[in-house]
Amino acid sequence: MSEAPTDTAAAEGPARTDGGTVTASDAGGSGTALERLVELSKRESVVVIGSAIALLALPVLLIDVLGFVSTLLFGSTKLAGYEGLSALVLAFAIAVIGFDILLGYTELLSFGHAAFFGVAAYTAGIVSTQVSANPLVMVFIGIVVTAPLAVVIGFLSIRRSGVYFAVLTLTFGQMLYFYALGPGAWLTGGANGLTDLQADPLFGFALSDTLQDIYFDMTGSLLLDVPFARLSVEYLLLAAFTLAAIWLAYRIINSPYGLILSAIGENEQRVDFVGLDVFRYKLMAFVISAMFAGAGGALFAVHERIAGIYPGTLYWITSGDFVIMAVLGGTGSIAGPFLGALVFEYISNVVSSLSFVLFTGPLKGIFGEFTLNFGSIWRLVLGGVFVLVVAKFPDGIRGAISSAVEAADGRLTGSGGGGSAADSEVDVDPDPEPETDGGATERPASRDEETGGERR
Amino acid sequence: MTRSDSRTRRDVLKGAAGAAGIAGLAGCTQGGDGGDGGDGGGGGGGNQYPSIGNFPVEGDEVVIGFNVPQSGPYSAEGQDELRGYNLAKEHLNNGGGWVDQWDELSSGGILDKTVASVEGDTGTNPEQATQQARRMINQDNAMMISGGSSSAVAIAVQKLCQEQKVQFQCCLTHSNDTTGKSCVRYSTREVFNAFMTGAALAPILNDEYGSNLNFYQLYADYTWGQTVQSSMNKFLTESGWSQIDSVPTPLDTSDYSSFLSDVPREETDVLILAHYGLDAANSLPQAVNQGLDEDMEIVVPLYNRLMAKASGEAINGVFGTVDWNWQYDNPATNSFVEAYKSEHDRNPSYTARLAYNATMQYAAACERAGTFYPPEVLKELEGHTYSNAGLGTEEELRACDHQAMRPVQVVRGNVQGEDEFFELVNQTPTSEVEYACDAGPAAQCNLGPYE
Repeated sequence: MSEAPTDTAAAEGPARTDGGTVTASDAGGSGTALERLVELSKRESVVVIGSAIALLALPVLLIDVLGFVSTLLFGSTKLAGYEGLSALVLAFAIAVIGFDILLGYTELLSFGHAAFFGVAAYTAGIVSTQVSANPLVMVFIGIVVTAPLAVVIGFLSIRRSGVYFAVLTLTFGQMLYFYALGPGAWLTGGANGLTDLQADPLFGFALSDTLQDIYFDMTGSLLLDVPFARLSVEYLLLAAFTLAAIWLAYRIINSPYGLILSAIGENEQRVDFVGLDVFRYKLMAFVISAMFAGAGGALFAVHERIAGIYPGTLYWITSGDFVIMAVLGGTGSIAGPFLGALVFEYISNVVSSLSFVLFTGPLKGIFGEFTLNFGSIWRLVLGGVFVLVVAKFPDGIRGAISSAVEAADGRLTGSGGGGSAADSEVDVDPDPEPETDGGATERPASRDEETGGERR
Repeated sequence: MTRSDSRTRRDVLKGAAGAAGIAGLAGCTQGGDGGDGGDGGGGGGGNQYPSIGNFPVEGDEVVIGFNVPQSGPYSAEGQDELRGYNLAKEHLNNGGGWVDQWDELSSGGILDKTVASVEGDTGTNPEQATQQARRMINQDNAMMISGGSSSAVAIAVQKLCQEQKVQFQCCLTHSNDTTGKSCVRYSTREVFNAFMTGAALAPILNDEYGSNLNFYQLYADYTWGQTVQSSMNKFLTESGWSQIDSVPTPLDTSDYSSFLSDVPREETDVLILAHYGLDAANSLPQAVNQGLDEDMEIVVPLYNRLMAKASGEAINGVFGTVDWNWQYDNPATNSFVEAYKSEHDRNPSYTARLAYNATMQYAAACERAGTFYPPEVLKELEGHTYSNAGLGTEEELRACDHQAMRPVQVVRGNVQGEDEFFELVNQTPTSEVEYACDAGPAAQCNLGPYE
């Protein structure tokens, strides 16, 4: 491990505090507008603020923008999302962001992350009836219980690699699924689900209240009827956790620790030769990703408090969905899992409602009227999209977007997909930047001590 | 979420009408609906009723949602439900079928609004079903959702509908809990439940097979199978039989041989298979293949077509109950079967009739109420008595638990041809299967609020 990446990673901290000046000097330092934009998009402050804006815009995009486009195209809002979909996307996005720390960086393919997602969901549900219905308490305990579970499952699974690791995690997940379905029915409600979830208001605001309601209750007058006024307390809670997850994942990935995880993904043997305890790092990556899945699961329980929690949350198909979301969106990044969860849930909940009448006009006379219903074949649609995206863009939707941006910039040569993959790796901070942050050298030193301790 | 959204919409209307914001707040308190002050709005914008759920209906279409299993173990039933629903939509818009027979109904939609529909695949799975229902309520602004097949699905969706104040019309859900401990105000059920099946079957099984027998049960391990198991146990034990054991099997099991080989052949006189759909289509033929029918009698409490078809001749002599049969001879049955047959070239199963009637009952209640305002529609459904829905006898949708009190058809397997695989043994009248509002499953029912 060289010292340089450590410095650059830690240097992100100061850059956040005096962003303005750094941006200015940075602008002088590097090349084109696009390159500057790409560099800018790697800043911690830019990532956090950009994500916050994206999170606030997501429901508006899903409901209003897509609704408008759909009305233009079809004369109805059938392609639009709906309230509740955005929250569902976020619950899965958090889980997949964590999953990607394992898959995209450490390159361990777990097929059992539904175990953590489901256990946290059930835990949050049980906590809500037995301990406290405060959503924050539900989520906190949900996250906390996944850690010891992940230590046990990880400790037993990580001893094997590749497909054996995947199958071991799958087996543990299925064990929990069958436990919840049968013997554990006294706790989980079995196939009938855990349906009597509670959720107290958060800071005095009911979870289903919108900003409009809150403003109205406080002032007796209305906010402008803008889309943002429709954001609910529940959505804001999920958005806050998603933002925290993105920030945390960013810090992990860009820390020396994250660098070691990437190094393990690239060449495990070399890391071992350097003298690092590969098993321990892998286990930690597993536990961290499990806790992200736990956060997603517990928030899923908050979101599904009316419908309830069912054993399907523990089923291997849910684990498979995490893999699909991560790969579809693009592994080895933070935006990828988010995009993957978005497209997955959109297809599963919106596209699945579509039906088209085929053979209208003269063709109807030949073939008869036939209605193509996506209801039961949405996984086929998803599979088609998956194959298409992965075949054309190995870096998933995120890779597709960055190649599109690069193509639009019109100055890129070579293959877009490969180039953007390199961009997303952690070690690409440019040379000029550390030089502009001369004052930052003290913090890296202290950080180095921490990580140094880890290495021994 | 929808509640809040609609309040916003109403308040905006008020604003447009020139009322100051503070007056709107005063309107809320005067409305006096109690509890949540925001809900009490006194109907602004010249509307007779306040906004609730997806009411008022905007535009000239009213949307209803058909949430049926198009995949999973009950998908075959779901396909036939969907045929029934689409036929109902077609008749409501363009006339035909019961729309021509019922006084309340006329072509041209419901309350002069064209009926539009959205479909969802529940996957025979409550999680997926509630996601679909959520989309129907929030995106498609559905005023009514109908579906079922898998009581777990019906219970989960009706709970969501109660919270969102959107009507749910049960199709096939036979668990006691649907109108028992999990009942809600915003849901009504026409089909009988496991309790009524038990009450109808027990005396006939006693007559046919004798008294003091031993029975053994295999049941699908979720709310439906569990309540069938407990109801069969209750009524058969009360009639003097004794249960050897009852064994749960997971929903969506394809191989029952290990469960079946555990059945004690020497002691067991009657084997009860509380399975449905694809599960029953697997378990009954497997039981016959193992020769269990030679040592004991087999009973399938709730019949369905897929099971009967998969079983072939093995179904002969097997007792069970059905909701209805296309061979009935009454005006409603005749017009429904004729319309269905001309469209699909086959005879409808009882799930198709349940779906058709669920839609028609909702439409008729809206017409009687003269509004889509859900509490008024509910009041029209509650206590409604009718005899024009194909059973040929009177049915009453009870106000206390939203369960229809109606006769139960006991049948015995007897394959005669296509779509004819049982004979009617007895139509057990309502008086022999009904239970009081404070007894049976209804004792645990607390319907919840209208608003």
